[in-house]
Amino acid sequence: MRARRTATASTPRVQDMLARREFLRATAVAGSGLLGASCAVNAVPKGRTLVSLWFSYGGTNREVLEQLVDRFNRTQARDFVQAVYQGDYFEGLAKLRTAIAARCAPVLSHVVGEVVPYLAEAGVLEPLTDYPGLADLDLIPELGQQRSWLNGGTHPLYALPFNRSTPIAYLNAELFAQAGLEAPRTWDELRTVAKRLTEPKAGGRFGFGCPINWWFWVALVGQAGGAIVAPDGRIALGDGAGVAALELWQELVREGSLKPPPGRDYNAWEQCNQDFLSGRAAMIWSSTAFLKYLEAHARFKLLAAPLPAGVRRAVPTGGTFWIVLRSAPKPEKAAAARFLRFMHETQQVIDWSTRTGYIPVTHSAVRALEQRNYYGAHPNDRVALSQLSVAEPWPWSVDLFRIQREIVQPRLESAVIQQRDARALLVEARALAMEPT
Amino acid sequence: MKPSRAGDPYWLLLPTLLLLFVFFVFPLVMLVEHSLFSWDLLTPARYVGLANYRSLLRSGELWQTFGTTLSMSTVVVLGSMTSGLLLALLLDRPGHWAAFVRSAVFSAYVVSWVSVGLLFLWLLDADSGILARIYSHFSQGRAPRWLADPALAPWAVAAVTIWKITGYALVIFLSGLQDVPVSVLEAAELDGATAMQRFRSVTWPLLRPTTLFVATTSLIASFQLFDVVRVMTQGGPVRATTVFVYAIYEQLFLDLRVGRASAEAVVFFGVLLLLTGAQFLLFRTQESA
Repeated sequence: MRARRTATASTPRVQDMLARREFLRATAVAGSGLLGASCAVNAVPKGRTLVSLWFSYGGTNREVLEQLVDRFNRTQARDFVQAVYQGDYFEGLAKLRTAIAARCAPVLSHVVGEVVPYLAEAGVLEPLTDYPGLADLDLIPELGQQRSWLNGGTHPLYALPFNRSTPIAYLNAELFAQAGLEAPRTWDELRTVAKRLTEPKAGGRFGFGCPINWWFWVALVGQAGGAIVAPDGRIALGDGAGVAALELWQELVREGSLKPPPGRDYNAWEQCNQDFLSGRAAMIWSSTAFLKYLEAHARFKLLAAPLPAGVRRAVPTGGTFWIVLRSAPKPEKAAAARFLRFMHETQQVIDWSTRTGYIPVTHSAVRALEQRNYYGAHPNDRVALSQLSVAEPWPWSVDLFRIQREIVQPRLESAVIQQRDARALLVEARALAMEPT
Repeated sequence: MKPSRAGDPYWLLLPTLLLLFVFFVFPLVMLVEHSLFSWDLLTPARYVGLANYRSLLRSGELWQTFGTTLSMSTVVVLGSMTSGLLLALLLDRPGHWAAFVRSAVFSAYVVSWVSVGLLFLWLLDADSGILARIYSHFSQGRAPRWLADPALAPWAVAAVTIWKITGYALVIFLSGLQDVPVSVLEAAELDGATAMQRFRSVTWPLLRPTTLFVATTSLIASFQLFDVVRVMTQGGPVRATTVFVYAIYEQLFLDLRVGRASAEAVVFFGVLLLLTGAQFLLFRTQESA
């Protein structure tokens, strides 16, 4: 009896131990398998130079970029680009700046144009002029460093264009047709159209939606005949034109025909897109970057149109530029330069622009698209490209990014949402912009 | 108990002290040091003395942030305490139904802040959210823009926070209620005291230490509000929901003003220190009373 009890008592213990041992073994095998699998995904093929690329695209744009990177990795055996998503432009930029300080920056990234002068003057960008083939790419000057900034060509080549855009108007063509309206060509027409298409009742519709954002304000300032930085270098913030631009927004919000979407930065942009897609806004201003997304998701006929004119036509350019970090080892920087050359080849430029809505950045790509009658079949794609004739360059100013984020943007929100005096706010902003940091 | 060697307790304390030094004291000293510099992480840091503090004060940013945080925290603390206490009084009884409601209310407390933020972003949507639909059912006009109106957004965020942390107050008040001696309540009842009189004269005075604990911990938690602001409003509209922690995040990670962010963090540390000091003082007064 005792022996049996001992046997029965000991048997489960042995089984437990075996089970535990097997469990541990299985866990170890599974763990090493998972580790191996993850390593296999991230493994750099032997003998290749690794280029770490930090990018800030979500959704379709991310998929297209990853496919282009994959194409580069498959079509040559010298370099290997590893692309890592880092959040939206501003999150990505914050991480990039922190990584530079921590000396663990990637080799390659892309940043908004407003921050390039600051990064260049801080000495963290690699001049690209001497890398084979980069200085003589057949770039559209308004999209490259040369004319994206005032006197951009006088600085060493620090930035190459990739996803470049302008603001454009998106129209719900069905609502416009029902109301017998066309895309507004002037500010007065914008007022009329916004008012006519507004339905103020519950569950109604706004005639116009636009994120209260620096980029669109800069467009309005240009249209009102002003400039952010005066020709003498003074930070003008448009002077009277800056006030006129803000007052136009204030007037439309007061009348209830403009919906400033909630949220800040790209949250507001996304909200604006959703308002348009759900029929809560008959027309919005957004980036050409969203063209393919909006076309794919709109359950109505969508029309793209250029922005209207105030006293003249004007738009800023937007999107980002490729940059190579100076801190990277030489072979990796050379590999990054080869990747950039690949990305500016006609096929890649065409694939990127036609699948996302961004503007093709080289003349050869535009010529190829014209030859295929691409713009005949896709007239919406031509709108941003045509607007380049009225694109205004950014000042090459190290303070531009600070002025945008810390000084102007909060005051735009204050003026439009709280209806505060536009002139007083811009006087305050100018004074702050002139203060030493 | 007396240690066999006088130095033993110190050796045993050493790992904890080391951890405290590396992760608390050292970063705090670095924080104070950084607050005296102007630094953007890329260009060399420049010593500016107290300029960061002066700039925060002069721009009104510090007062605005402090005001926003304080007013939102006050609403959050009062709201969560009141609702927590009311629910505790209602649910302090046996039975499956009460247990189910207690669990349901507390479940909100264990859901992540980001999930709660996203959920309420959808519920509070001014055009298609449930609240907007209810509003438009009774009214012909457009529903208020809860999250886009600077006058409403702080209270909308505060309400979401109350919803989230009420479960915590409920649990603490329930444990407090269970410490109230039944014999005293029964004696009061025999003396003819009404339910309200029993609550005012017996339950409430005996719940005072619990109330103090809930108030202090909720206040400190609400001062540290970040996730829900980041998800729902990003500090807007027009900085109306820019609370302390979000302001520090914005200065540091979006504007890369290390010095100014550090100065703001030092002030925030001081405020939390004051709150904790007040808590100790109140507890001590309570004990001596």
